[in-house]
Amino acid sequence: MNPSANSKKYLIIGTALIAIVIAFFLIGLVWTPYGINSTDSASKFMAPCAEHIFGTDNLGRDVFSRCLAAARYTLLVSFAGVAVALALGTITGLLAGYFGGLLDKVIMVLSNSVMCFPGILLALVAVAVFGPSLYNVIWALGLVFAPTFARVYRSSTIELLGRDYILSAKVMKVNPIRIMFVHILPNLMSQILPAVIIGLANMTLFESGMSYLGLGVQPPAASYGKMLADAQSYMVTAPWLIIFPTLMLVCYILGLYFISEWVRTSMRGGSK
Amino acid sequence: MKYKGHILEVNNLCLSLCNSDGTPVRILNDLTFNVRSGEILGLIGDSGSGKTMTALAISGLLSEFAKIDSGDIIFEGEDLVKKSAKERRMLLGEKIGIIFQDPSSALDPLQTVESNLSEIISIRDGDKEEGHKRIINMLKTVGFEDPEQIAKRYPHRLSGGQRQRVLIAGAALMNPSLLIADEPTSSLDTVTSMSIMQLLHEMCQEMGISILFISHNLNAVRNFCDRVMVMKEGTIVDYDTSWDIMGQPKSAFTAELLMKSRLDPDKLGISQGRSQEGAPSVLSAEGLSAGYRYADFRNKKTNAVIHDINFEILEGDCVGLIGSSGCGKTTLVKTILGLNNPTSGTVHKNGRVAAVFQDPVSSLNPAHTVRWHLKEALKASGRTLSKTEQEPYFLKILEDVGLSAKHLTRFPHQMSGGQRQKAAIAMCLVQEPSVIIADEPFSALDASSQASIIKLLSDINTKKGTTMLIVSHNLRVIRAMCSKVLVMDKGKIVESGDTDKILENPSAEATHKLLKARMYGV
Repeated sequence: MNPSANSKKYLIIGTALIAIVIAFFLIGLVWTPYGINSTDSASKFMAPCAEHIFGTDNLGRDVFSRCLAAARYTLLVSFAGVAVALALGTITGLLAGYFGGLLDKVIMVLSNSVMCFPGILLALVAVAVFGPSLYNVIWALGLVFAPTFARVYRSSTIELLGRDYILSAKVMKVNPIRIMFVHILPNLMSQILPAVIIGLANMTLFESGMSYLGLGVQPPAASYGKMLADAQSYMVTAPWLIIFPTLMLVCYILGLYFISEWVRTSMRGGSK
Repeated sequence: MKYKGHILEVNNLCLSLCNSDGTPVRILNDLTFNVRSGEILGLIGDSGSGKTMTALAISGLLSEFAKIDSGDIIFEGEDLVKKSAKERRMLLGEKIGIIFQDPSSALDPLQTVESNLSEIISIRDGDKEEGHKRIINMLKTVGFEDPEQIAKRYPHRLSGGQRQRVLIAGAALMNPSLLIADEPTSSLDTVTSMSIMQLLHEMCQEMGISILFISHNLNAVRNFCDRVMVMKEGTIVDYDTSWDIMGQPKSAFTAELLMKSRLDPDKLGISQGRSQEGAPSVLSAEGLSAGYRYADFRNKKTNAVIHDINFEILEGDCVGLIGSSGCGKTTLVKTILGLNNPTSGTVHKNGRVAAVFQDPVSSLNPAHTVRWHLKEALKASGRTLSKTEQEPYFLKILEDVGLSAKHLTRFPHQMSGGQRQKAAIAMCLVQEPSVIIADEPFSALDASSQASIIKLLSDINTKKGTTMLIVSHNLRVIRAMCSKVLVMDKGKIVESGDTDKILENPSAEATHKLLKARMYGV
């Protein structure tokens, strides 16, 4: 079988799955069929029907409207969290790789220490200390994920240091900061892209987990994790409360994994 | 027991590669050739002519993107194309050995030489003591004077030539019937290349191994191969005994390749660059020593590579720096350029020093265009030009190095090796340096690109008056371009002075060795 045709399939499926979540996000920004938090005691636990296509929850809130609204938090936390992790990881990884020596040792000891603990535990501790809020979740997840990016940047920087074009920049007495950010950084995109995509997926899982435990996005805002937590008591009697938020998460995470697989196979093909 | 007759027969082999959109592109076209038992067959051609693909098809190491469309590969009477991947994998260990071009990437950097080699033996037999003895004996056979020490070293502590010897030892340990050597000497200096080729020749005669020797240097295979096959764009254009190919090439392509590989200074129009009377010194070193630092748990130690180097280069001079691999040429260059701190001694520079490095693949930053590189060089030189002045200035520099306006917007991967080296030279010119140090700028290029880079550097020296320090293995080029020469051996300058006098009447043993290698056409 043609490997490039195979990798295209990953791209098509991945893009289609993520497009669903992005469509929910865009529609949710401008329109929802019902108010996100408007309750209706007359229509509690309604199964999916023409009026409420994803059904309603224990307070009579429309699940479809809440799914549309929750997409924004999922995307916001995953993208903003990865941006924080990427910024921190880039700076520390480049500094450690370029200068080496004591600075490298200090940065690596710190990042190894963070990596020793389960990420979710550290994020939970950080949010518990600084208080549960959307911005604290983003910061906490960013800090937890930063060492992963720092390691990728550090090892790739060390590898590039011996290349002739970097030696040439050193001979020209180019400022080290400029060498790091203008000469080295653009060459690391191919290594960092798969890490970013997997980071987005993991960030989403962490955010849902934290919201599920009540330490993430705070009510009354809708988030998939919180919706799942609220629904668990009615899992048997009203399964649609579990099914639709879960499907949204699966679409997003699976889509990201498919795209990362495409990136991986197409890069491998390119390198040959 | 070695197979008698034609050990390998390739009949009408056609091979395609899938490009990024999945459409197959024909790479090898109707190849038909054979390798006789105990002979060395040379396979020559420019880069991209399909030499390595032929080697990979025979060894069964083709990527998933490659497909054999038709034809057969008969090895010791059996058709390899019809064999399963597993059967071919077994053959690769037992009967077909392969040595790759880049010795630095073919050895596991985290294992010692012995562990690397014992991987090969452990596949076949289990006795550790016996294995150790075999490895040490084989390291001795491939020319190491102290095999026990070498066996304990990690690959990064060996020079390019030593690594290639280790790889040959690995291939020989398997005692294969056919050894495929894919440009094993192209990254090595003349003396090491010659010794590697002699070693392969001895193995061929003593162990009865047939060798398929791939190279882009026609001259190098002159005294080495029994027969030579010349490839161009996936087809065989010439296939004869090496004597006939060198004497009477049948195709125009071979004749052209031969002419270019001779690098005749008169035909290229180059002359020796010489300083004028009373010219000031632009670069000098006094008692310069340098090396690499390493730590063994408690103590930091320095492994000295160059010792007590003294030289002086005058304005307008073109000076050659020659020596066998591992003698410390690159360490000296790096120390002069400030990339390596000297342990003692000083370097005096009068003006700006620019550098051109060996590897055209990594000489330019792959993420940026040629324009960006030139801007960066201009910025580094401390000069400022307005936007309206910049463009014509860059165009003039590109024209000087033989490139044109269209190359300004190109990325390195959109240019050939020769063009990249020219762009790297253009970067040097933008800096308006007083000295250009070129560390083997042509050794990784094919014959035609080599000729144009040599001509360009010579013109920059003689017409612009820029002082040059050229590190090269090619004595013919050094003789044509450089009025003075420094000969290095074991980290010291053993001989220096007028190029013609030294090369005609060498006093140091190292110079004798380099000259001897040249006589073999390496």
